[in-house]
Amino acid sequence: MLGVAGLAGPLGRAALLVGLIGAFFGLIAAVMGTRNEDEKVLRLVPRFATLSCVSAIAAFAAMEWAMITRDFSLAYIQKVGSKSTPALYNFTAVWSALEGSILLWLLVLTCLTSGIVFKYRDRITDPMVGWAVATMFFVGIFFFILTLGPANPFAAGAPGVLDGPGPNPLLQNHILVVFHPPILYLGYVGMTVPFAFAIGALITGRVGEGWLVETRRWALFSWGFLTLGIILGSWWSYEVLGWSGVWAWDPVENASFIPWLTGTAYIHSVLVQERRGMLRVWNLSLLVSTFSLTILGTFLTRSGVLNSVHAFSESHIGPYLLSFFAIIVVVSVGLIGWRGEKLHSPGTIDSPLSREGAFLANNVIFSVFAFVVLLGTVFPLIIEALQNRQLVVGEPFFDKLAVPVGLTLLFLMCIAPVLPWRKASGELLSTRLFWPAWGGIAALAFSVGVGATGLAPLLTFTLGGFAGGAALRQLVLATRRQGLRGLVGRANGGMVVHIGVILIAVALAASNSYTHSQELLLKKGVVATFDGHTFELTGFKTESDGRSTVVAALVRVDGGKSYSPAITKFKSMGTNIGTPSVKSSFVKDIYLTVEPPIKVSSDSVKIKVFIKPMVMWLWIGGGLMGIGTLLSAFPGRRRKPTDATSAPVPSEASA
Amino acid sequence: MKRLKSWPVWMLMGLIVVALLTVGTTRDNGPLTQSDRIDSITKHIACPTCDGESVYVSRASAAEAIRNQVAREVRAGTMTDDEIIGSIANTFKAQVLLVPRATGIDSLVWIMPIAVLVCAVAGLWAAFRRWRRDNSGEASSDDVALVEELLAEDPSDEDNV
Repeated sequence: MLGVAGLAGPLGRAALLVGLIGAFFGLIAAVMGTRNEDEKVLRLVPRFATLSCVSAIAAFAAMEWAMITRDFSLAYIQKVGSKSTPALYNFTAVWSALEGSILLWLLVLTCLTSGIVFKYRDRITDPMVGWAVATMFFVGIFFFILTLGPANPFAAGAPGVLDGPGPNPLLQNHILVVFHPPILYLGYVGMTVPFAFAIGALITGRVGEGWLVETRRWALFSWGFLTLGIILGSWWSYEVLGWSGVWAWDPVENASFIPWLTGTAYIHSVLVQERRGMLRVWNLSLLVSTFSLTILGTFLTRSGVLNSVHAFSESHIGPYLLSFFAIIVVVSVGLIGWRGEKLHSPGTIDSPLSREGAFLANNVIFSVFAFVVLLGTVFPLIIEALQNRQLVVGEPFFDKLAVPVGLTLLFLMCIAPVLPWRKASGELLSTRLFWPAWGGIAALAFSVGVGATGLAPLLTFTLGGFAGGAALRQLVLATRRQGLRGLVGRANGGMVVHIGVILIAVALAASNSYTHSQELLLKKGVVATFDGHTFELTGFKTESDGRSTVVAALVRVDGGKSYSPAITKFKSMGTNIGTPSVKSSFVKDIYLTVEPPIKVSSDSVKIKVFIKPMVMWLWIGGGLMGIGTLLSAFPGRRRKPTDATSAPVPSEASA
Repeated sequence: MKRLKSWPVWMLMGLIVVALLTVGTTRDNGPLTQSDRIDSITKHIACPTCDGESVYVSRASAAEAIRNQVAREVRAGTMTDDEIIGSIANTFKAQVLLVPRATGIDSLVWIMPIAVLVCAVAGLWAAFRRWRRDNSGEASSDDVALVEELLAEDPSDEDNV
């Protein structure tokens, strides 16, 4: 007989099955109702959406229940559960490996599908909405199949198991595990909404600008969550995991960055379509790319084809994800080809020296950047397939190519905000760029004055000052005209995002170029010095509980507060996890790590000190990007329609 | 104010930038610590037993051994950074290099980004040429009326011009 603890498995499996049925009938109802214009059938769609959403919630709750009650009858709990894991990390252990991550993905997706159906409940008979909802159901079915098949979190485990190792040690040492993965997933999964409406627009042939208006906030919020998720991940890596940097170009990091790049290109180029009715095929392609790249990224990092310290799981879902990726690409490209005639844009871009010209250049650079990161990520696979040889493409390769791309993007951020639509004269540019350019010179003079060296970082500071000036100019003009309302809307909120990006670029350039490090052997009572700072070992601190032992060296920095870089040893895994300790300021971070082994009985310890300039500005920039995204979501000043009346009149209109 | 923003002032700004960049890029960067050199070198070498981590990041014993070897070479002071990386690569084969070589099929990883960039820029250039050719029409009275209406609404609004 099943005990209460053993119920989670059957309940979870049943919930997933019901959810799959709900999504399947939802798809059928949406497709048949839309095709036959049958309102009665379409009115069933919200019920099926609710059914699949409630089922996913129930499955997720069952998984949490199994984790909380340590139900070791399930293989997944045997893999990531442990009696000694604290409650918080036990809760987050649900998404600490593949099966639970896919369940979380499914939960977010079904909730979004329900949200879309609820929002458009009065327009469910609109064919574009119908097809969009059908697309979301289709994606949902795929993820239900994954959770019932190769990534089943409720699969029965081996009998007689009474305890497990717990989640990966890296996923049980900081509260960020609560926020980073779900926020990243909100970004990934959120991209399904604009993709679904794009498919709806293609199927119905309503490829004008209507579908963009429907989805622009969804796209913006998804992009915002993806941005926030990436920045939180960087912060976690730097402050907590002791990987001593914010970004390592690891395949898992790249998997989130590539769709972010194409998504960023989209939220710029979509403005050209809304304003000028152009770039229809391009925008659809970017959306399809962004969504399909989230699936490809999941394939690359979850199937075990690429090695990453960050993947936390291997599985057999690779062929499923690859097939789904292929279906998305083939269907989307087929639909775009089918609607080719209707996608022909009526307008033209008058001059490269215009806002739309700058957006196009921005899109080219972002797309090339996405290609570079994708190529570097999959190149080891290509070499292995062609020559049966192992190859690693790492940080130095990406850094080398990212620098010129980043500088070009910064240059565009100097020019684009001041460019008018259609065409700019030299005189106009000279007027508008004058003070921002002085901002760049001031930044360069300051940098040289404080001793900065090296071409790439100096160019970054110069262009950062220039681009910051251009963004501030736009904000000052807007707030002069409209007061605080001048901070909201896409153009002005976008400038706040730009300032955030500039701060991040400057902080990265400074910390990557001017970081100094030194290993120090500290002895109690002896003060060591490095880069003008003093370090003194004052003692050790040991904390132990059922799952781990933390040994920290107490290091007094500059005669003030003591910092405690530590090594955590997880008993069940025997893994040593280093935890840095960071003294942060606006100018620089003093980043301390301790080198194992630590002998508490001795009077000495080996530490490594990194002096990293300007890192705090990276987090401030990230915060500004988040605030800017929120400001962009608010409606700005209403503008009269400015359709391109000089564009050739479409043949339909003249007929 | 108009004179202030004329081309000679822009020329002056350009000269200031060139002068400052010259000062900044040619002056001595200061000595690197041995630890800085070890970090810089180990960032280019993959840990042979890890999941794609560099020797710089990894705490695995194989990475530790390579780090110690690099540290010994740096302290000896007889080899350049590239020579040290080369000697490690010879010991562990090229698969420990985190930067692919620019020879053979590995060079594709360097060539393809440049090829894609060149194609994209060429495509953009061709598109602008086509648009310029297509865009031969005069402004209609509707256009003129619309622009005048928007300018009259708020002439200082840059979004409208």
